[in-house]
Amino acid sequence: MVANRIEKDRDTPTPARAWLVGLIAWAAPGAGHLMQGRWLRGALAGGAVWLMFFVGLWLGGHMYALGGGQQSFGAVLQLLPMIANVGIGLPYFVCWIANVGFAEHAQLVTYEYGNTFLLVAGLLNYLVMLDAFDIAAGRKR
Amino acid sequence: MRHVLWMAVFAALTAIVFGIAAKGDERQRFMYGLKVFAEFIVIAFLLGWILYFIPFR
Repeated sequence: MVANRIEKDRDTPTPARAWLVGLIAWAAPGAGHLMQGRWLRGALAGGAVWLMFFVGLWLGGHMYALGGGQQSFGAVLQLLPMIANVGIGLPYFVCWIANVGFAEHAQLVTYEYGNTFLLVAGLLNYLVMLDAFDIAAGRKR
Repeated sequence: MRHVLWMAVFAALTAIVFGIAAKGDERQRFMYGLKVFAEFIVIAFLLGWILYFIPFR
């Protein structure tokens, strides 16, 4: 039964709107649900991701950028956390341009908490983005 | 105490997103989110007590 459903889903073409919803959901956390009229889901998911992001910044966490002052292999090690941070969407690039949240504050007690909040906020937004995409593609209610 | 507070905030926000992304009706999602939150808290306290008895120095 599940195999049939997967086969059916594979045959159904993904509407172009779903890709747009996915892009908007990534760029602004919660917006993908809001533009589909899923107000409560959008507010809760978007609110949780935004709150986690701002709490992360407030706790003194920092975001990763490729290079980031590191040389050779050290720069490559920044890639995975950077991918997690980029998950937050446009706020990452706004912070990058404004040079906010990229400085390390290792002296703070809550520094590691902040880092974790920022990393997980981005990862959770990937999840929210996929949820919005699935709804737009008709794969989820 | 502050650490426990931040851990609880982290668990709550993560559980909200997990609950929303889960499948099922609203009640099932709510219960799943609640379960995720409880698991975060219980496992964190268990690990905390296990680490407390391990002499690191």
